[in-house]
Amino acid sequence: MINNKRLGMVIDQERCIGCEACSISCKIENNTVDYWIKVETQGGTEKDTPRGRFPDLAMDFLPKLCNHCENPPCVDSCPEDALQKRDDGIVIINQEFCSGCQACITACPYNVIVFDENKNLAEKCHFCFHRVDQGLDPFCLICCEGQAIHFGDLNNTNSRVSKLISGKNTFLLKTEEGTNPSVYYSPPRPKKRL
Amino acid sequence: MMNNSKDLKVIRTACPAHCGIDCCGILAHVRDNRVIKLEPADFPDEKDRRICLRGLSSLEITYHPDRIKYPMKRIGERGEAKFKRITWDEAYDTIISKFKRISEDYSWKSIAWVLGGPGSGTTKFGAYLRLASLTQSTRVSAWGYGDAGLPCGSRVIFGHHFPYMHLFGEFWQRKWPDLLVIWGSNPAESMPLQTMRKVLDAQENGTQVVVIDPRFTVTASKADEYIGLKPGTDSAFALGLMHVIFQKKMCDLEFVREFTNGSYLVRIDTGKFLRGKDVGSKKENAYIIWHESTDSYKAMRRSNVREACLFGTFKVNEIECKPALQMLKDLTLQYSPKQTSEITGVKEDLIIKLTEKIATTKKVIFYTHMGFTRTFHGDISLRGLISVASITGNVTTSFSSGYMPAVLNWDPFLKAIPEKPSFHRMGILNLYDAVISGDPYPIKAVWFSFINFLNQCANSNKIINEFFPKLDFIIQTELFMTPTARYADLLLPVCSFLEFSDFLPHPYPYLQLQQKVIEPLYESKSDATIVAELAERLEFGEYFKGGEEGLIDLIMDHSSLKGASKETLKNRAVKLQPLPEGANFPLSFRTPSGKIELYAEQLVEDGQALPVYLPPIEAPVSISKNKYKLTLINGHSRFRTHSMFANVQSLLNLNPEPVVDINPIDAQKRNIATDDLVTVFNDRARTTLKARITEGVKPGVLDITEGWWIEQFKEGSLNHLTHDIINPVQDKVYEPNMHMNDVAVEITKSEGEKK
Repeated sequence: MINNKRLGMVIDQERCIGCEACSISCKIENNTVDYWIKVETQGGTEKDTPRGRFPDLAMDFLPKLCNHCENPPCVDSCPEDALQKRDDGIVIINQEFCSGCQACITACPYNVIVFDENKNLAEKCHFCFHRVDQGLDPFCLICCEGQAIHFGDLNNTNSRVSKLISGKNTFLLKTEEGTNPSVYYSPPRPKKRL
Repeated sequence: MMNNSKDLKVIRTACPAHCGIDCCGILAHVRDNRVIKLEPADFPDEKDRRICLRGLSSLEITYHPDRIKYPMKRIGERGEAKFKRITWDEAYDTIISKFKRISEDYSWKSIAWVLGGPGSGTTKFGAYLRLASLTQSTRVSAWGYGDAGLPCGSRVIFGHHFPYMHLFGEFWQRKWPDLLVIWGSNPAESMPLQTMRKVLDAQENGTQVVVIDPRFTVTASKADEYIGLKPGTDSAFALGLMHVIFQKKMCDLEFVREFTNGSYLVRIDTGKFLRGKDVGSKKENAYIIWHESTDSYKAMRRSNVREACLFGTFKVNEIECKPALQMLKDLTLQYSPKQTSEITGVKEDLIIKLTEKIATTKKVIFYTHMGFTRTFHGDISLRGLISVASITGNVTTSFSSGYMPAVLNWDPFLKAIPEKPSFHRMGILNLYDAVISGDPYPIKAVWFSFINFLNQCANSNKIINEFFPKLDFIIQTELFMTPTARYADLLLPVCSFLEFSDFLPHPYPYLQLQQKVIEPLYESKSDATIVAELAERLEFGEYFKGGEEGLIDLIMDHSSLKGASKETLKNRAVKLQPLPEGANFPLSFRTPSGKIELYAEQLVEDGQALPVYLPPIEAPVSISKNKYKLTLINGHSRFRTHSMFANVQSLLNLNPEPVVDINPIDAQKRNIATDDLVTVFNDRARTTLKARITEGVKPGVLDITEGWWIEQFKEGSLNHLTHDIINPVQDKVYEPNMHMNDVAVEITKSEGEKK
């Protein structure tokens, strides 16, 4: 493993059509109880509904998953040291050590760690490291209908993700938490009204 | 076939679900004849790799605990779903004896094959056509359950079944326009991969996108401008756009002269085209134009049509005439922005801005699909849209690059024995009368395949109370006990797509093989196998030699498919033949005039020679005396492909039950809140389900997404509310459509559940 890698994602909101293929593909690939990726509608009060008044409306989608933070509060919070940040930046939960205490769930400011009550284990996105370690992309990426998900090394200035971040007006979630996420979002471009 | 390890096989196949042209290539991972994983397969072009949330979940169909596992015969009343297991031999013997009796008492044509949408499948559909052809029975076309309006309009104005190549063939070839107008379609949910991805690509390349729709769809959320109009007023909107185009003299006159019949003179007295015979010419049928430079009439020729007058009134031998384009312009006079706004509910300034944008933009592409034409006059809506595209020169008339379309060898399926008559063709909406009243002839037995007839066709109570009771014999091939299957006399278990092979000529520009991945589960068989085994007993076995594989070889036997062998397709998708470099491949118009028919002479008697605005038959578009004040439409949901996938748990987890979308203005008037149980009703029926308050539907409009099964509603269902009224013009032009987006209803808080 090369030490200075920092794997991360760029999710392009302009291309996200809110289909939830990421949620489903992840759930199937990782055989999970709850969704590790949840797609939030930035719109009305209900899922898949817009904000505004007809016909002046807007609706965007924001898929949320583990941010694989540079400073992950979940890792610090775990009394069993089950949570680890790998050298490539992926934050994983070592299920052998997880006691089900859910301290990580409380510590995570993004509400993206889920709890499997049957197994008494915390679970979350691990960027499909079983695929990444074989040189493959995360499963959600290859199943994304809108091709909105990009993945790669944030420390490599020539990587697609780095280029997207430098070329687009990307944003991070809850920067005030000081977590320094590795999941970037590219916002919808301004509308060219008639 | 790739072998990754000793016991794991990875097989390339493709999903043929009825989204059809998305047609995702899929890699199935198989261990011990069990599929353990599906993932998107590679395409020659990496950006075409694709799968959707339904395709991802489709193992839950293959391994669903509720699958019909063996042939069964009905032992209870129809609808009760009480069945008894029988053998395939008993099933075939029953069919043969029933068919024999019906063909003796009536005739073979009283036996009808009601085939739904085969998706992108070909031979599973072709097998039935071939047997219907051999037996000279009735093949019921399923275009009419929602998809006949578009062909009706396209046949009139373009002379083609589909308008796609002329409207957005270049878009599918990734030639991005400056402006893309998506009208009455939501590809983000109904065609996310083959269309919506390209919309997003186009936007990245600078294309401005306008979406016109009564619902603020996911597609609308991506648009630069959203225009929310009243359902069923599309042709008024088109006339409104053309009004501004004519007033501001923004027509592409050169295009109109060259590619449309806009310059041909129309007789004011008869509405028919002035012809050679009217002016004493030997060329009796020649169209006549008014020649500008000589200020006289002339028989239309390629050489003089460029100098034809497009506007004005002319007298030819005392016959008053106008060019067809002037007739169209006259019609638009009643559709000023103000009047159009009143009819459609779209603001005046937006109508003007959109028109100016269309007329002043170099390349505009208009995109639409089937849902657009599911109002009573949806065929005219399409003609209106195409008229706007035509008079602004935005119809594609030739391809300079791209791929030759796939042509399949359908002849042996459509006419199995060339020297003998083939099947009788009947539209699905015409089937109602054939069964109920014997008009035009009685149908006594129906065979349903890949169709959930009761769930997906209009006016459910009529089907249950008048249609089914008139039938002597109902056969259904199915995977599940669908609402329709419950009424079958004989139920035959069919394979899921992983258990049989078929040839899929999609998505453009590719060909794929739906390769059998595992052996059929339980006692299920593929439709093609069932047909072949039945044909053997009817002494037509020789026409089905080789089963599925033989039929695939037969349908692929066409010169356009050279270079795409079945063996190659087992490993990868194959691209169609590219057009030669620098070629100019003209796209013909197969209308009577050989041109785009802005004026359709064949519909003069029907008052529809021009794309007139005729109000919806039911949907209340103005403050009307109609007892029911709300319009019910039905959008498509990404969680289902029509009624497929409605029983898949992964999708139900995200979208658990039917809801009716209602605007807060309409909800407040009726004291309805989100999650309230509400009843939607009209004179035909009532249905009870949850309400969802959303700004995403226009005030006055309710939306229930189609495909939910009847038992998933608290009471009734979507199609209990829809009507089966036949549009006689569609019946004449092609076949009548069902008009699920043209329904009047009222809604009230539910007083309790009734079954």
